[in-house]
Amino acid sequence: MSPDLATALRAETPSAPDALRDRIAVITATPPAPRRTLSLRRVLMVAAPAAAAASLVAAVAVGVKAGVEDQAGHKATAPRALIPPQMLAPTAESGQLRMPRRAATPEAAKNAFAPPTAAPARKRAQDVRTSITLLVDDTNDLSATTQRALRITRNLGGYVQTVNFGSQTGEGTAALEVRIPVSRVQAAVVRFSELGRILAQQTQITDLQQRLDDLTRQIRRTGDPGRRAQLRHTRSELNRRAAYATLLLDLTTHEPQAKVVPPSRIDRAVDDAAGVLGAELAVIAYALIVASPFLVLLAAAFGGRRAYRRYSDLRLLERA
Amino acid sequence: MGDGFVPNPGRSGVTRAAPAAYTECVSDVADAQDFSAAAETHLDDVYRYLLYVTANPSTAEDLTSETFERALGRWSSFDPRRGTAQTWLFQLARGAALDHFRAEERRRRREERVAEPDRVAEHELPDEYGPVLRQALRTLSGADREVIALRIVLELDAKTAARVLNISASACTTRLNRALERLEQKVRPRLVA
Repeated sequence: MSPDLATALRAETPSAPDALRDRIAVITATPPAPRRTLSLRRVLMVAAPAAAAASLVAAVAVGVKAGVEDQAGHKATAPRALIPPQMLAPTAESGQLRMPRRAATPEAAKNAFAPPTAAPARKRAQDVRTSITLLVDDTNDLSATTQRALRITRNLGGYVQTVNFGSQTGEGTAALEVRIPVSRVQAAVVRFSELGRILAQQTQITDLQQRLDDLTRQIRRTGDPGRRAQLRHTRSELNRRAAYATLLLDLTTHEPQAKVVPPSRIDRAVDDAAGVLGAELAVIAYALIVASPFLVLLAAAFGGRRAYRRYSDLRLLERA
Repeated sequence: MGDGFVPNPGRSGVTRAAPAAYTECVSDVADAQDFSAAAETHLDDVYRYLLYVTANPSTAEDLTSETFERALGRWSSFDPRRGTAQTWLFQLARGAALDHFRAEERRRRREERVAEPDRVAEHELPDEYGPVLRQALRTLSGADREVIALRIVLELDAKTAARVLNISASACTTRLNRALERLEQKVRPRLVA
């Protein structure tokens, strides 16, 4: 473009006439509308973080509240049902040693077995009671395992006191009470443990030596032959108890329920809060998924309208 | 704040914080002053722009007045961070011009149903306008005149002009080059002579 043309265009373009200036002066004499203090953008800038914070606070509040309620519920229904009755039985006799061993989950049970650490003392008379709960595969396995347990008992020089075997619709249990010589009780525990997967194990050792010594002293002191015979009978009973250990073997085909460790209050609160946040996000995601086609259509319509408007404006100006 | 509304100093002589009403009042006065200053500064530019777009002095005057009335009503929504007052006023002026053209077109369509419209009268310019401008206004389309007005007469840069035209800067430049090419073809013989 030639500079002359540009100069000519600028020079020949008139300024606003005085009449127009007067009209504009009248307009500007009027004060403009007060500036809005709350624009839509400002409201959105405040409302969006406020909504996010409110949802977070709501999630935390719900989480804490639910955590407190859950804690109360857990206290009311303590998981005693998961604990075998023998573990909950109170120990009345003094000097006894209880060594409960439980493997609540199958994974834990694989590593749960180990021979009792507190073996019966050889020089002291002790009443040893051990209970083992084993999981077997099915009723066939249950029967075979029961027979193997009986063979082991006999091989170790022991005998069977009671056997309770029952099976029904593919599941069954067997309860054996056997007496094993105390000197071989550890071997018995090891061999019984190999018969299945250990679900629970408990060993209880009660010292009898003190009572035997008392009985011996009483026998020496007493002059009454009847009383002496009675004391000797009691002592021989105690010696028999001390000679053989009682071994309770429970076989079952029931898979144990995984032990539910109640989470802490904070864990529960965090879980619940995360759950609420997750639910909120899910609702938002759901709304977005449902609304996205409409939003796309809306955006396309908006963009198309703008493009058409731009085109029509240009056409309008070209005709002008 | 011409009514003597000033904050009262406290008994200790320490000026207290201005109340919200006072701050608002000061803000309104500042806004009014800003608007008056903007109108005074850009009146000629807006008129020239509209003169080129409409090619009709009286229509340009009316639309200039309409533009500043709109600006008065929307002054609160003007955000200096998003653009200058000049650009904002040009955008308002363009909107007013387009509304005018739409209304004129509707009116013309209505008249066409009953009689032949008289289009020549709109481009009749008084003799006080120079020959180059008269030629430009007579031969070019409104779109060409608009981009020439913004880029050549008012000397806006491509980015600002593109913002007023609601197109990209490159499209604005392309449109300007084509408009100038057409204008030069018409007015060069006259300039040479």
